[in-house]
Amino acid sequence: MNIVKKLAFLAVSVLAFGATSASADKLDKILSKGKIRCGVVLDFPPMGYRDAKNNPAGFDVEYCKDLAKALGVKLELKSMSFAQRLPALNAGKVDVVIGSTSDTLQRAKSAGFTMPYFVFKLQAMVKKDSGIKEFKDLKGKKVTAALSTTPETEFLKNSKANGWSASNYFSSKKESDTHLALLQGKADAIITTDTTIVELLKLPKYKDYKAGPFVPGFDDFVSIIVKRTEYGMINYMNLFIHQQVRSGRYKELNKMFYGNSPVRKLTVDGIYY
Amino acid sequence: MFDFDYTFHWITVWNVFPEMLSAAMVTIEVAVTSMIVGLFFAVFLSLGKDSSNELFRTPSIIWIEIARNTPALFQIYMAYFGLGAFGIHLSPYLAVMIALIFNNAGYLAETLRGGFASIPRTQLASSRSLGMTAFQAYRHIILPQVFKVVYHPMTNQMIWSILMTSLGTLVGMLELTGKTDQLQSLSFRTFEFYLVAAVMYFVIAKGTLLLAKLLAYKIFKGDA
Repeated sequence: MNIVKKLAFLAVSVLAFGATSASADKLDKILSKGKIRCGVVLDFPPMGYRDAKNNPAGFDVEYCKDLAKALGVKLELKSMSFAQRLPALNAGKVDVVIGSTSDTLQRAKSAGFTMPYFVFKLQAMVKKDSGIKEFKDLKGKKVTAALSTTPETEFLKNSKANGWSASNYFSSKKESDTHLALLQGKADAIITTDTTIVELLKLPKYKDYKAGPFVPGFDDFVSIIVKRTEYGMINYMNLFIHQQVRSGRYKELNKMFYGNSPVRKLTVDGIYY
Repeated sequence: MFDFDYTFHWITVWNVFPEMLSAAMVTIEVAVTSMIVGLFFAVFLSLGKDSSNELFRTPSIIWIEIARNTPALFQIYMAYFGLGAFGIHLSPYLAVMIALIFNNAGYLAETLRGGFASIPRTQLASSRSLGMTAFQAYRHIILPQVFKVVYHPMTNQMIWSILMTSLGTLVGMLELTGKTDQLQSLSFRTFEFYLVAAVMYFVIAKGTLLLAKLLAYKIFKGDA
């Protein structure tokens, strides 16, 4: 009898414990802890960078702050590389990553994506006297992009479709390494986001360079990511992204980081998200 | 509490496994080539360091000291971006190859020097007194004995050479680590890809050790 009682008690406590832990999702945990850990990539200005005082700054950092404010919790920023975004989520080092993550269907099998919060154009940056005007002028030129990024994937896809030799392309480990390769003359062109090129061209050392052709037919929509199973978070952040636009904050941040260039539309014609 | 809720998708890796295999071949190719060419330079460096001729000794000492006392990563960066600053543009592949040759040569030189030191000086003199040229004396008397002494330390350097190639990804070389990085970014199946890559490195390294043991058995007839 005693054993039966013990077993029953065990069963009930397992059920009870199981029930509470199953219902407490990431959103609950963030709210009860009073803190959100937000991953950002700080070598991708103006989305993420370090300001003159070495503090994290940029569009993504502002979004982290806004998200924490909306949730009413404290913010802990965690700096990471592009490659670390997913492992950091899966290992539980961060709760969300606001780090310009391109929303591919392939990746959505592994991570939970919100609706897009920003959109880039992929573009080449070339020397002014390089004679590169259209995308097809990149044929036979030395081209580099950051390893494991969408600019690399999309350039290689186009390059392959056009039947260009793969040997003219080489990867660089980091975004900043591509800039160095361009300045040193290792590369005739780098492929990156249009926003990065605008930032770089502000610097005096790029006075002989210009924004080159766009990678055709591709809008690089980027999302906030969480673990794939965190529906509560995805749901909350979809509304957050929507409200950022509705409240005018999105426009305000566009102005803050992109000056007078037109505010980027996060919609595609003909369909709801 | 420890909560591990991750579902592994191995199929994503197997779909592109041939690409990982060919990247592993690049890893082996660079490791082996840099080892063989490194050994070639190491013979001269080790003799150079003990030479009484300043012209040989100074450059040998500088090479060995830099190779052994700076990080391999630094050497790879220098070959890639360092030379790039002077307008010499090596491909990531060539830059890594040259840096690893430089590194291997430095370490192997010291290994060989230890080997040479273990052979009594009098043997060279005796060989010469028997009418051998210096080359013949080294070829037939000294080097075979040195080889036996340095064989196992060299195996270690070979393993080290294989593992060092993974630094190549830092200048954008697509060897096993770089290719794995590229492939995982497409699907975000990070754990799966890196685990498979780790196992591949392990197999390559262990396989090399096994091969070295078998070779040693054959070459030294079991007395090494």
